[in-house]
Amino acid sequence: MNRDDSKIVAFCCEHSAYQAANKAGRMRLHYPDNVRIIRVPCAGRVDVQHILKAFEKGAAGVLVMGCQEGACQHLTGNTRARERVKYTDSLLKEVGIDGSRVRMVNLGPDMGQQFVAEVKEMAEKIEGEMRR
Amino acid sequence: MQVKIGVFLCDCGESLKNIDFSRIREDLQRLEDIAFVDISHNLCLEEGEKAMTSRILVENINRVVIGACSPDLCEHIFTRLLEGLRLNPHLLSLANIREQCSWAHEGDVTGKALELIRMAISKARLLQPIEREVVPVSKQVLVVGGGFCGMRSALELSRLGIRTTIVESELTLGGKMEQFEGSYGIETSPQAILNLMSNTIEEDENIEVLTSAEITSVEGQAGNFPVKIRRGGEQVSQSFGAIIFATGHTTKTLPRDFEPELGRNAISQRKLVEMLQAPEELERRPGTIGFVLDVSDENSRLPILSTLNNALAVKERLGSEVYVFCKSLKVDSEGMEKLYREAREQGVVFLKFEEKPQISKEDGRLKVEARDLLLGEEVALLCDFLVAEEKVLPCEGTEALGSMLNMRTDSQGFYQDENVHLYPVASERKGMFFVGGCKGDLDFARTSMDISSATVSIYELLSSGKVIVEVEKVKVEPDKCQACLTCIRICPHSAIQLVRVDTEKEVAKIYDLACDGCGICAAICPAKAIRFEGYADEQILAEIEAIGESL
Repeated sequence: MNRDDSKIVAFCCEHSAYQAANKAGRMRLHYPDNVRIIRVPCAGRVDVQHILKAFEKGAAGVLVMGCQEGACQHLTGNTRARERVKYTDSLLKEVGIDGSRVRMVNLGPDMGQQFVAEVKEMAEKIEGEMRR
Repeated sequence: MQVKIGVFLCDCGESLKNIDFSRIREDLQRLEDIAFVDISHNLCLEEGEKAMTSRILVENINRVVIGACSPDLCEHIFTRLLEGLRLNPHLLSLANIREQCSWAHEGDVTGKALELIRMAISKARLLQPIEREVVPVSKQVLVVGGGFCGMRSALELSRLGIRTTIVESELTLGGKMEQFEGSYGIETSPQAILNLMSNTIEEDENIEVLTSAEITSVEGQAGNFPVKIRRGGEQVSQSFGAIIFATGHTTKTLPRDFEPELGRNAISQRKLVEMLQAPEELERRPGTIGFVLDVSDENSRLPILSTLNNALAVKERLGSEVYVFCKSLKVDSEGMEKLYREAREQGVVFLKFEEKPQISKEDGRLKVEARDLLLGEEVALLCDFLVAEEKVLPCEGTEALGSMLNMRTDSQGFYQDENVHLYPVASERKGMFFVGGCKGDLDFARTSMDISSATVSIYELLSSGKVIVEVEKVKVEPDKCQACLTCIRICPHSAIQLVRVDTEKEVAKIYDLACDGCGICAAICPAKAIRFEGYADEQILAEIEAIGESL
C-alpha cells in the first residue's frame, strides 16, 4: 500500500455494520472506493494489533464498526471495541499520528446511509489533511 | 499439505459491468498456489453449482475462494456444496465483490475487486479444517418455578415428548396466580385455570414435580447442566439438557403519600376485586371510584390491564362513576386498545396530568386535585374509594439467582435486557431460557409466545439426544495459557471454564456447545493463547497485508 492512495480499513461486525455496508450497496449509495471491509464475527474480536497493522501497511484511517450500544449480540463486544479503539488512538497520538484516525462507529444492520456517511466523513478528513 | 486454491468468480448474470473479470483472471493466475480461476454467470444456481462441483473434483483443490455476492446470501450454498464433496466447509473464503464493490461505487472498480479477492486468497492460504463431532445431550429439562409460566412450559414440552422436572419453592404449584384475579376481567378465574393445569400435570408421566425445593448450583453448559437441588434436608444432583427459568415477578402496591397508606378509602386492586366479587356485602354503593396511575413508568402493562378491566367491572357491577388519573396509558398489548375504547364508551373518564395529583382527606372521602392536560384546568374530585397503583417488580432472589448463573439483569432488575439480537427467546447462555414475569412486565400474549418459542428452541436443541458441534473452533492452547482467568471473566456466554490438566497446572477450556463464536476472548487474552479458527490473528493480519498489493 503506498501512502498516496490512502486506504481506509473498516472492521465490520457481521451482525450489523457488514449488513449495513451490504444495504448501502443494494441501495446503490456510492461511497469512496478506497474502503476495504474486513468481516469480523463481533467488533470485540478486533484487537489493537489488527488496527496497528492496518496503519503499518499504510492505511490512512481505520473504522471499527459494531452494533449499537446495548444491542451487541455478544453483549459487551461493542463496548470493549470502543475501549480498544480509544487505547489505540492514544498509542497513535504518542507516535505522532493525529488523533481520530481510528474511530469506533455503532451501526444497526439496516443503517446503510449512516455507513456511507461515516465512510465519507473519514475519507474527507483524510483528504483534507493530505492537502495541508 | 500443499495448498491448492481454486478461485470461482461470479459476474451475477453478467450484471457486474464495472468489473473486468478477464483482467482479474489474468492477474490471479500469476499468483502462487492458484490451480485455476473460473468465471461463472450463476454460481448460486444449480447449473453453476454443478460446474463448480466437477471442477473441484477434477482439479483436486483443497481451498476454495469465491468472489461473488455477500456471504449472508451465498455462504450456506457453498458450505453445503463442500460438505457434499467431503471437503471441509471451513476451507472456504469469500470476497464480496457485488454489494461492497460493484454496486457501491461508480466507474471501473476492477482494481478494488481484485484486491478484495486477493485478500480472500491470503486468508484462504492459512485456513485450517474444523472437524465436527456428535455430542450426546440430556433430554431432561429443568423448569425453575411452578407458577403459570412454569406449568405451561412443562406441559408444552411434554406435548413435544420431552421430560421435565418442575422445581417449586412453595408447598404447592400455582405461584402467584391468584394475584391475577381481576387482571384479565372479573369473570376469568385464575383458580379454575390453576386447578385444571395442576390436574393435567399430575396425570402427565413426562412431568415430575418437586415442591418445597430449590436449586443451589448450576454448572456445565447446554446439553448437560449438572444441577444441585435441595429439598428438605437432602440434596440431589441431576443433569439437565436445558433449563427454563419461570421465577416470576411480584407486584407491589405503591403507597404514595396519602395517609393512612392503605386504609378504608385507599385500597389495592386486590381489595377492589373482592368488593366486586361480592357487591351485596357493601354497606352502600360507592358513588365515585378513582384510579391513580401516577408513579408508573413506561413499563407497567399489567397494572394498566387490571385498571381497565376493573374499571369496566365497576361500571357493570356497581354502576359508580369511574375516573382514571394517569400520565400516560400504555395500551400496546393485544386487545388493550379495544379495552380502552370500551372503557371510554362505558363512561370511564381518563384524566391526564403532568404533575403528581394532590390527595387529601375531606369529609371521610379522598380528594384528588390535579391539572388536566386536555382541559387545561384544575380538577378536584371527591372519591369514595381510591385504588392505589401497583408496580411490577422482580421477585425476591432474582438477583442472587442471576449472579449464580452469571446472567445480566436490566436496569429494573429483570433478567435479559432487550437486546435485539437475543430478545425475546434466547438468553446469553445457550440452553437457558427465561419466560414470563422474571423477564419483566409482560402481557399474556407475549408470555405465551415466549413460552412457545422457548419450548420449540429446546425441542430443536435436545429432541434427537445429540448435537453436532464444531470441535475447537475457538481453542485455548494449553501451553500458552497462564490461567489468568481473564477470558473466563469476560466471556459473555459463560462458555469458558478452568480445567485441571495435571497436578501442576490448570488451564482455561472453551466448551464448543456453549461457545457462540464472538472472539472477544481471542482479542483480550494477554498471552494470545486463544485461537479462533477462521478469524485467527494471522488470518486477519494476512487479509490486511494483502490490501494494496494490486495489479
